[in-house]
Amino acid sequence: MIKSTPMMKILALPLLLFFTVFLIAPLCMVAFQSMRFGAHYTFQNYSELLQNSAFLQAFLNSLIVSSCAALITTIIAFLLAYTMHFTKVNKGLRFFIQTSVTLPMLLPTITYGFVLIYAFGNQGTLTQLLGSPPFSIYGFNGLLIGYILYTLPIAYVLMNNAMLYIDKQYLTVSYLMHDRPLRRFYHAVLRPMLTTIGAAFILTFILSFTDFGIPASVGGEYEVVAMSLYRAMLGAIVRFEQGAAIAIMMLIPAVIGILLLAYLQRYQVAFKNNKQVALIPSATRDIAFSVFSSVVAICIVAIFAVLLIVPFTMGYPYDLTFTLTHVKAVFMQSELLQDYRNSIIVASITALLGTLLALLAALLNTRTPLKTRRIFDWFSILTNTVPGMVLGLSYLFLFNDSTLKGTILIIVLCNIVHFFTTPYTMAKNALQKMDHTWEVTGQLMQDTWFATIRRVVLPNMKATIFQMLNYYFLNAMVTVSGVIFIVSTETMLVSTRIKELQHFAKYTDIFILSLFILVTNLLVKLVLDYLSTKGSRQNNENES
Amino acid sequence: MLELQHIKKTFGDKVVLQDIDITIQSGEIVSLLGPSGCGKTTLLNIILGLVQQSEGRLLYEGQDISQQSMQLRGFNIVFQDFALFPHLNAYDNIVYGLKNKKQQMSKQQIQEYIDFLELQPHLTKKIHELSGGQKQRVAIARTLVMQPKVLLLDEPLSALDGVIKESIKERIQQIAQQFNLTTIIVTHDPEEALTLSDKVLIINDGSVAQFGTPREIIQQPKNAFVEQFILKQLYIKRHNIYQLFGEQHD
Repeated sequence: MIKSTPMMKILALPLLLFFTVFLIAPLCMVAFQSMRFGAHYTFQNYSELLQNSAFLQAFLNSLIVSSCAALITTIIAFLLAYTMHFTKVNKGLRFFIQTSVTLPMLLPTITYGFVLIYAFGNQGTLTQLLGSPPFSIYGFNGLLIGYILYTLPIAYVLMNNAMLYIDKQYLTVSYLMHDRPLRRFYHAVLRPMLTTIGAAFILTFILSFTDFGIPASVGGEYEVVAMSLYRAMLGAIVRFEQGAAIAIMMLIPAVIGILLLAYLQRYQVAFKNNKQVALIPSATRDIAFSVFSSVVAICIVAIFAVLLIVPFTMGYPYDLTFTLTHVKAVFMQSELLQDYRNSIIVASITALLGTLLALLAALLNTRTPLKTRRIFDWFSILTNTVPGMVLGLSYLFLFNDSTLKGTILIIVLCNIVHFFTTPYTMAKNALQKMDHTWEVTGQLMQDTWFATIRRVVLPNMKATIFQMLNYYFLNAMVTVSGVIFIVSTETMLVSTRIKELQHFAKYTDIFILSLFILVTNLLVKLVLDYLSTKGSRQNNENES
Repeated sequence: MLELQHIKKTFGDKVVLQDIDITIQSGEIVSLLGPSGCGKTTLLNIILGLVQQSEGRLLYEGQDISQQSMQLRGFNIVFQDFALFPHLNAYDNIVYGLKNKKQQMSKQQIQEYIDFLELQPHLTKKIHELSGGQKQRVAIARTLVMQPKVLLLDEPLSALDGVIKESIKERIQQIAQQFNLTTIIVTHDPEEALTLSDKVLIINDGSVAQFGTPREIIQQPKNAFVEQFILKQLYIKRHNIYQLFGEQHD
């Protein structure tokens, strides 16, 4: 390993400072606020909460609906990923499934709720097809379906990646050893996937538990913790200290989840082989899984279809004539255009600064001998644990009297911290895979450390950098929970405007704005994907 | 006796194997030798029953097994990277398949395999605690307890280093002899193929370049490919080793 240089330390310092001010301090502030009761510091807020039956009911509701959603999502995601990796599926169908499962990721979760209302409500598209509403969409059912739609792509991507690295030769071995199907499934698929399955369950649970967008739209009378927190902070009766205590309570399942995840890692088994192996032919299996996955994909498409129907019809559901009037009307509202502009600015700056920060942190962590390098792993775990709502709330407490209040910058900073874990992990994975003798080679060629990073390391991770940019951009565009407490009237974003439009029942505008987000994200994704494959292709050409 | 008759394999428009027609006697060690991408792994998979041939037949002891499933054929394979289950220890890997067999193998019989492969000290070890050679032997043991009719080995030596290579080679020959087991080995290394096996099938671009004993191949190379790509390597190696020991031969 190379020695540490002054350059490394100069780079580490601002990073440490950044996380202290924008992660540690705000969280301490929330803890501090939650203990405040009038002029005293006590546990009074907590004991009041624990005696408040409405809050306890909301907490219990959150636990129940999130566990149900996580369980169902994990099973569906597993079966979808299984279809992709362990059965032979028609290429076109494969593309259709992949696209329709992951496309909802490009939308804010608050949109999901309104889409559900328009699909399953009294006048909903699917209700019309079925004749009568299959169930009441407000409350438990709506939350459950919303959470599943929200977390399915994330669980699916997780499983898909893990299955990519499972050695498919085990299936052949098991087959040759005359295993019955169940034993084969256990040893060759389920056992290697166990950690990932657990991780998917925990992750989807936490995401559902802490999401604000879906309960805000279809929660109805079924109170969940996210709504209790919102009401305490921005409701009719404002109780900041109690809000802080709720925020801390909201952290508990997340902390338990992260601890469980760490424990599960022990059962992880490493596979080296991910080469293409011939699958044992089975037409029954192929057809069964193709049908199942197609049904899931069609359901998702059917639910989200309203997004394309409602904005372009005169007066859904009574007058279905095609029209662009509504879209034009949105373009006439300077307010909404301003929101869109804000969203783009926030997402772009978040993407650029966030990627830079995550990249630097990963670089210092993986490729320097600095003593402080491990701390970035801890920051990453912490940002992964803290729900967006809690983080936003902590910013509200800490920066309310500062000049940061009501600026674009505070939203950007909150987003960077909120979504730090994934881009950081992406960069770390890419950097760890790279040859560790490059820096030494660079030094021998009289490069400074920084020059080697610039000339050798960075050009070899172009694809990862584009993916990081994409991740930050997309999430900054769709987040509601992270920014709901810190936007002002001047810095209103599209996603938070949707929340406001709800009060005026302007669903057509909501759908058009959602489409704006969808199209923007899609375009950015396509461009960055193109750049990223182009980058890696060049690398491959250089290698061969 | 295993007969391959006019085996052809295409993937879409691409012809991967063309008119492979050979006979393998019981107890023989046969190597499939050729450069990467020549189709030798596909041929191995066809013999195993994992991949279906497009044309041609396979006969085992005179019986047509062309349409038989992988399980019914009763052949078995040791993969290049062994594919040992990482969540089971060495012993549980070895007896993995026995749990599925109706006829129970006695403890003593299992022990014979373990002793033969010198695995006694390693039985309780986790897979990642084993060396490459030990993993190889566990994988062979796991396959042998299933008493396969034909043993297939995919690049059995490529994951091993120097000295171990020679001892595993010897071990493979012992196995074939002791159990009179027909053994088919895939390799891209001419030295390995020619020193290990009774017969060598040299494949180039999906077709048979030559099929014969190592002696026949050395003395009567059938075509330019065998001479240029197979024998030339051996000449260079021989030259280098002679030079190293200060001896001179032609």
